[in-house]
Amino acid sequence: MQRIKVEERADWKTQAESLGFNFHTMYGAAYWDESACYRFSINQIENDIEDPTNEIEQMCFELVARAIQDEEMLHKLAIPEAFWDYVRSSWLKQEKNLYGRLDLSYDGSSPAKLLEYNADTPTSLYESSAFQWVWLEQAMEKSIIPAGCDQFNSIHESMVKALEQFGIEDQLHLTACRGSEEDEGTVRYIEECAVQAGLETNFIFLEDIGIDENGYFTDLDDKRIETLFKLYPWEWIMKDEFGLSLPKSELKIIEPAWRIILSNKGMLPLLWEMFSGHPNLLPAFFPNDPRVSEIEGGVVKKPLFSREGGNVEITEVDGSIIKADGPYGDQGSIIQALHPLPVFDGNHTVIGSWLVASNACGIGIREDDTAITRDTSRFLPHVILD
Amino acid sequence: MKRSKALKLSLMGASALTLVACDNSQEVGVFETLDQCIDQAGFSRDICEANQKKAQSEHLRVAPKYTSISDCETDFGSEKCETAPQRTTSGGSVFMPMMMGYMMGNMLGGNSRFSAQPLYRSRDDSRNFRTGDNQKVSGKTGVTKVAGQTARAASTKTRTIRRGGFGSSARASTGRFRSFRGFGG
Repeated sequence: MQRIKVEERADWKTQAESLGFNFHTMYGAAYWDESACYRFSINQIENDIEDPTNEIEQMCFELVARAIQDEEMLHKLAIPEAFWDYVRSSWLKQEKNLYGRLDLSYDGSSPAKLLEYNADTPTSLYESSAFQWVWLEQAMEKSIIPAGCDQFNSIHESMVKALEQFGIEDQLHLTACRGSEEDEGTVRYIEECAVQAGLETNFIFLEDIGIDENGYFTDLDDKRIETLFKLYPWEWIMKDEFGLSLPKSELKIIEPAWRIILSNKGMLPLLWEMFSGHPNLLPAFFPNDPRVSEIEGGVVKKPLFSREGGNVEITEVDGSIIKADGPYGDQGSIIQALHPLPVFDGNHTVIGSWLVASNACGIGIREDDTAITRDTSRFLPHVILD
Repeated sequence: MKRSKALKLSLMGASALTLVACDNSQEVGVFETLDQCIDQAGFSRDICEANQKKAQSEHLRVAPKYTSISDCETDFGSEKCETAPQRTTSGGSVFMPMMMGYMMGNMLGGNSRFSAQPLYRSRDDSRNFRTGDNQKVSGKTGVTKVAGQTARAASTKTRTIRRGGFGSSARASTGRFRSFRGFGG
């Protein structure tokens, strides 16, 4: 695994914009960054990332199967009691999951460690699946990188295939909140995948969803919504006024409710409890657990429900603290052993390992100037070249 | 190879519309009465009756619904509406347009997506039959071609009583943190 400086394509911004990838620059700084790329060997990809990703997914299934039957676990995960049966039945009815992203700390030689699982509302999908793929094809064509490079990225193909096999007979509605270009962009891309899978689609803003006399959810044409893809966290759905109407509504939601168990940082201590010592897991505990004091080295405190690094706090072994601001954290937190991200040319690098229909199918790399990967981090492409 | 074999350059945003257009058209039968159907060459009485019956039961599900008869008549014309079997939660009446004909898709059977459905005539375009999803079908009875999307079973119609019950947590939780980017992780 190496970081290699490469020439940028002269027209990448124009291309991004013509494709609707408008958030390539954020807060005035580049988010898509092709001034460098990461190079992996096929063994690193297959043995150190792909296989562990699939293995972690299987461990996660075991965790969910156990958590839904264990009230103490559901309580620790801060899932509102009113939704326990709903979460449980979404798993027992085998409601299908579509996609997710494991964030891994990997330096090219020691085992990748699971930092967290974005199992509910992952973004950076489009840049991983499409824009990164286009970069590879064009960079080889323009001899920016050697011909014969490959990339761990069949995300797009996998998304289309998964949506084909989802068993959606009626229309697929898709939703995101008003006001976030990135979230809406991600949902529009998933809509595109659904259209390529032959589905009839209908985008609606979350705030516009209605409810009828019988407790069914409706779109702006007063049509009943049967299947809904939402890029909106489950823990917020459960707090919203319409949330309590969900269990009786027969609405099928992607990702299904049981994903709240995995998108929750509380899954990290539960997973460690079940699979202590697994090479791809880091020791993690709930804060009141006496074993917290046994963690060697620094620790990271993460709110149960936090996104984009919000409210994450690192305590280094010397006691110094690095904090990221954020709106999260009033609902409890967990303590995880610190496994610092590898640093390449001064950049802290995290690997997002994508799963579609529970199969590892690609990666996306983000870099940050600091040890916490946040919403201002940069996305870089990668190649496989032995 | 670890990457996708090919990738149709995916556009984010308002691109999806262009791709829906290449929908297969379907041959359908459009009839106002059972006799019209039976008289049509190639249509048997049994099939006509079964399809009419199916369309009548679909009518209750897919017809546009109104809580006031005058709103219904504004859209479908005076004395063109009837009481629907549904009730509002407070026990009030629900109204819907009368079924003016029916459409039989896929006469040779097989695909349930194109099964029989009721047809309506709206006040502003009373010459043409329309589906419960307000898709124009044809002005004439007999066998005709429609877009595959039109031939599909229409969606369930209901009355929305309230909107805006989702999204408040996003407003409450994020405030200044949400500007350009959302809360995806």
